[in-house]
Amino acid sequence: MKIVIIGASAAGISAAKTIKASEPDTEVVIISKEDSIHSRCMLHKFLGHERDAKGISFIADDFFETNGITWHSNTTVIGLDAQKKTVKTHDNQDIGYDKLLIATGAAYFIPPIPGLREAKNVYGFRDLKDAQLLDSECNTAKNAVVIGAGLVGMDAAVAMLMRGLKVTVIEMTPAVMSLQLDQKSAQAYQQLFEEHGAAFILNDKVVSVDVDEVGRGKTIHLASGKAVPADVIVIAAGVRPAFSFTEGSGIATNHAILVGDDLKTNIDDIYAAGDVTGMAGIWPNAMKQGRIAAINMLGEKLLYEDRYALKNTVNFYGLTTLSLGNINPEPEENCNIFIREDRHNYQKVIIKNGIIQGVIIQGNIAGTGFWQYLIKNKIDVSGKNKDVFSLSYADFYDLNQDTGEYNYAV
Amino acid sequence: MNSNFSCKTCASADQKLETFISNLSVDTSHHRMEGQSVKCGFGLQGICCRLCSNGPCRITPDGPKGVCGATADTIVARNFLRAVSAGSGCYIHIVENTALMLKKTAASKGVLKGKVALAKLADIFEVAEADEHVRAEKIADMVLADLYKPDYVKMELVEKMAYKPRFDRWKELGILPGGAKSEVFAGVVKTSTNLNSDPVDMYLNCLKLGISTGLYGLTLTNLLNDVMLGEPSIRLAPVGLRVIDTDYINIMITGHQHSIFAYLQDRLIQDDVIEKAKAVGAKGFKLVGCTCVGQDLQLRGEHYKEVFNGHAGNNFTSEAILATGAIDAVLSEFNCTLPGIEPICDELKIKQICLDDVSKKANAEMKPFVFEEKETQSNEIIDAVIESYQARRAVVTLNMAADHGNDDTLTGVSEGSLKSFLGGTWKPLIDLIVKGEIKGIAGVVGCSSLTAGGHDVLTVNLVKELIAKDILVLSAGCSSGGLENVGLMSPSAASLAGPKLRAVCESLGIPPVLNFGPCLAIGRLELVATELAEAIGVDLPQLPLVLSAPQWLEEQALADGAFGLALGLPLHLGLPPFVTGSPVAVQVFTQDMLNLTGGQLIIDDNAKSAAETLDAIIEKKRKELNI
Amino acid sequence: MKRIIIDREKCDGCLNCNIACISAHEEGSNFYTVNMQSPDAETRNFIKFDAQKGYLPIFCRHCDEPECVLSCMSGALEKDPLTGHVQYDESKCAACYMCVMNCPYGVLKPDKRARTKVIKCDFCDDKPDGPSCVKACPKKAIEVKEVSL
Ligand SMILES: Cc1cc2nc3c(=O)[nH]c(=O)nc-3n(C[C@H](O)[C@H](O)[C@H](O)COP(=O)(O)OP(=O)(O)OC[C@H]3O[C@@H](n4cnc5c(N)ncnc54)[C@H](O)[C@@H]3O)c2cc1C
Ligand code: SF4
Ligand code: SF4
Ligand code: SF4
Ligand code: SF4
Repeated sequence: MKIVIIGASAAGISAAKTIKASEPDTEVVIISKEDSIHSRCMLHKFLGHERDAKGISFIADDFFETNGITWHSNTTVIGLDAQKKTVKTHDNQDIGYDKLLIATGAAYFIPPIPGLREAKNVYGFRDLKDAQLLDSECNTAKNAVVIGAGLVGMDAAVAMLMRGLKVTVIEMTPAVMSLQLDQKSAQAYQQLFEEHGAAFILNDKVVSVDVDEVGRGKTIHLASGKAVPADVIVIAAGVRPAFSFTEGSGIATNHAILVGDDLKTNIDDIYAAGDVTGMAGIWPNAMKQGRIAAINMLGEKLLYEDRYALKNTVNFYGLTTLSLGNINPEPEENCNIFIREDRHNYQKVIIKNGIIQGVIIQGNIAGTGFWQYLIKNKIDVSGKNKDVFSLSYADFYDLNQDTGEYNYAV
Repeated sequence: MNSNFSCKTCASADQKLETFISNLSVDTSHHRMEGQSVKCGFGLQGICCRLCSNGPCRITPDGPKGVCGATADTIVARNFLRAVSAGSGCYIHIVENTALMLKKTAASKGVLKGKVALAKLADIFEVAEADEHVRAEKIADMVLADLYKPDYVKMELVEKMAYKPRFDRWKELGILPGGAKSEVFAGVVKTSTNLNSDPVDMYLNCLKLGISTGLYGLTLTNLLNDVMLGEPSIRLAPVGLRVIDTDYINIMITGHQHSIFAYLQDRLIQDDVIEKAKAVGAKGFKLVGCTCVGQDLQLRGEHYKEVFNGHAGNNFTSEAILATGAIDAVLSEFNCTLPGIEPICDELKIKQICLDDVSKKANAEMKPFVFEEKETQSNEIIDAVIESYQARRAVVTLNMAADHGNDDTLTGVSEGSLKSFLGGTWKPLIDLIVKGEIKGIAGVVGCSSLTAGGHDVLTVNLVKELIAKDILVLSAGCSSGGLENVGLMSPSAASLAGPKLRAVCESLGIPPVLNFGPCLAIGRLELVATELAEAIGVDLPQLPLVLSAPQWLEEQALADGAFGLALGLPLHLGLPPFVTGSPVAVQVFTQDMLNLTGGQLIIDDNAKSAAETLDAIIEKKRKELNI
Repeated sequence: MKRIIIDREKCDGCLNCNIACISAHEEGSNFYTVNMQSPDAETRNFIKFDAQKGYLPIFCRHCDEPECVLSCMSGALEKDPLTGHVQYDESKCAACYMCVMNCPYGVLKPDKRARTKVIKCDFCDDKPDGPSCVKACPKKAIEVKEVSL
């Protein structure tokens, strides 16, 4: 059997690994745009000059050789024929498959703001290629503007601060990383960034960008009337699943590729995993989807049930935060909110009817892995009769006597 | 019994003993080591505190302080001072009993065998009384008066006994002890819950306890005993399990208070008692030495040739001695009387009688020694032992080890006997040291423990290394029990010494390791050191003299150690005394002490490197003395 | 593979497994010298106490399906196909702490000193006689046993 995987990132690589681990004889072909495998979560380390391109790889150097995988690098898929079971590449090859995994992730999105799409010095921060282009800009630029203070924007900002640029971050919402943090925990990061030289303009919107004679954006105008000078602009205002090549193939999509619990699309033998499915936008979930899709492609049946995606960890300047679930509940949701803080820690737990809805642990996040399990499995903790902040895995301790593995006693 | 019986016993420097023990069917300390081989790290570092109900608090990365706020430094210092206080208390108990015994002996016009010792004490204490009994009683009273002073009144004999430069330094440091018993009390109070938290203050307090322990518990105990029991004199004697003679009714003695046995040991060789023994088929009675009280008898063996058959072994040999089956009773009056002997005594039907309730054994008969009733008590003991002999000898299988030990251990060495041996002056020894024929002196003292490589292992290996470097070894404590059994105290051991020391030993017919007897005799080593320093005209820290307690075992050893440090001597220990969890403790003991008293702690469980360190110190001191 | 099998009934919370683990990762140290107050003193195993259940040893299971590995975005965490142990390569790690969030048993933690790495049990695979914690446990509450992978 020949399995073709489009995309060589979290989902694609984890699928390939899973296939080769259980059926080494299955032929695996990976097609990807890049020629240097990298983890985009480490792009800031590349841009910040902490690591080179090889240093942000997440696989061994000889991964493809040792696993006997064919890798078409520098290759973009531009079409898909589900009848003939082939994919078409930019250089006009038709690559046949028995089973296909679409793991093309997502691509950044530039909002339709006058000047922004046209300006030559506007970059996304999604790929190594983006980071390489930004890298050379950073050699000369002085003022950098980051549009969007989500995780990606903050990654770009931290890298450019390390490069010594003056960085201004513009954000529509009143706080940084508003999807992951609440006001208080966001404030802590904002302050840290400011201490390292960043400026924040919150609660404001880019309305236009002045483009100079050579096509470079120079001044950014905001709804408030403020104008911010820029030598380089990073747009981090969101991503869209990347599946344009499936047009006409009959694969069902909405804003993403639609899949069932087995991660199969509406077409037999075609599966999708990772950001392209729109089910999550984080690495662990992309890995898991890749793995589950692979298992199903090999004919076993494993459902993707661990869908929980409202989870993240943040680590900037050594301040760490765990964020899970609904952390900014609306008053009408009638949640109980518990907060505990000291000099080094801020902890917030949101509970409704004994079920944890959300958690923010900022500061010491040692051993906090159990919270995710409680939230995603909707475990009722009211019976524990103890201070919610003192919960730990110990409260659910259970051992499998045969394997020695832990279970959850609930 | 033998529920813990395990066939893997720990190593022993004494091969014959190791084999003997490994073949025993009774459980001994050597067997139990295996089950206790996993140690608690908090205990080893001294960073566990059980002083209040918030505890036990342990210093961990997540808990760098106790609930009360005590740091590792405070916890370690409290634990250490507590241990030193307890250790001091033990020795002070011994000297108190000894002084009381002398007082009563003198008051009742009893025999005083040690005329030289009496004269010496009278001289030091400046007692002019002509009548020897009055003199002795006065001396005992002076000792007791000091012991019973409150802690805020300094003891008066310290100045009389201590070497002047030392006394001056102690005074400067403010560590002259008040009444010795009260000092123990003060140490215990200081270290109680939420009292003292200043580690340096507590370590100075340890030095203070070291001084009272050393001068009273050690030095004076020896001298008072010498008055009653006679001075040591040098001779060759048999040692090891071979000393047990199955033809006799054998009584093993354990403890540290020789004078408690004074009356009994004379009684055992009186005709009517021998007749009683003969009536049940034995030739008579013999005392078999074990632990320090055995060492003490051996030391004065010249006076007790008939009743004392020799020293069989030290603390961790006691179970083996009983396991021979030839011991009919154990008389104990102090430590080191291991609880481990109890089941062995039960199994082998050995009568146990305790003469001092501080060491009451769980299954032993309690018969606190009362001076006024010593005659009846002794008769009762004799009858009980005979009864035991009769009941057990027919039914118990003997398991002798006639080839264990040797017949030519040089014993009876003391500050007095050594000096007379040298011709009544220290000059010959000083000349040998100056000429480099003897590079220096190492006092190898303390106990045996089973952790540092096994029974007596580090002690024996270290001593071999030291003598090979031409360093003369003087030993006191259970260490000498181990050293004599492996033959290092026999004249033939000279062949193991370096060429110069060997030549000296061979010309004098002595071994390179001199046996001062019990741990109490650490006080005699101090007398030797002081007399040498006086003769040369230097302070103690300047002498090419080092101390080592390679296998220190218990709290008493820590109090002894504190004495050594107060004397300003380098002190080597095989294993750290549960203080390494405190940076301050490590700093104070290994560095700052040099400036305080001149002393220094060296921790090393490797015989070779420890010997090298001690050798380097001796070389350095020689250089500083220009010799 | 070999796994540390836990008999929680035997554990008495002495924490010697903690010391052993810290010592195993402080070069050249032993039980006497290990610096418990160093900012680098970190345990990779945990003892929790529960009023009903008693002491609960929490040790990395080197899971059959390790969530930490599945969440690692740098390749720093890998399950060794030969030993079955989940090993961590500090040089690859990006200190993102997705693994801390994903270990369901709360075994993982950032380093205390600078939050630039993860503290994880390595099964003492570099020690010839295996897990140091197991050797230090006086109660034999933890023992190495072979389990099928
Ligand atoms: C800057 C940044 C920081 C992040 N930090 C974190 C973090 O700390 N933690 C976290 O959990 N998540 C983080 N994420 C999100 C995480 O990177 C993604 O969820 C994850 O990469 C999704 O993996 P994927 O395999 O689904 O797709 P992607 O990683 O997007 O990979 C898509 C792959 O498909 C290839 N491809 C796409 N289209 C084509 C085509 N037409 N032809 C051929 N190849 C194609 C690409 O070249 C690439 O190899 C971050 C993302 C960014 C951008
Ligand atoms: S860290 Fe957690 S998830 Fe990873 S192997 Fe250990 S127990 Fe399993
Ligand atoms: S913190 Fe390091 S080991 Fe953990 S998931 Fe991130 S990169 Fe991997
Ligand atoms: S196996 Fe080693 S690394 Fe793992 S917990 Fe035990 S001591 Fe620590
Ligand atoms: S060493 Fe053993 S008994 Fe002690 S806490 Fe650890 S697991 Fe429990």
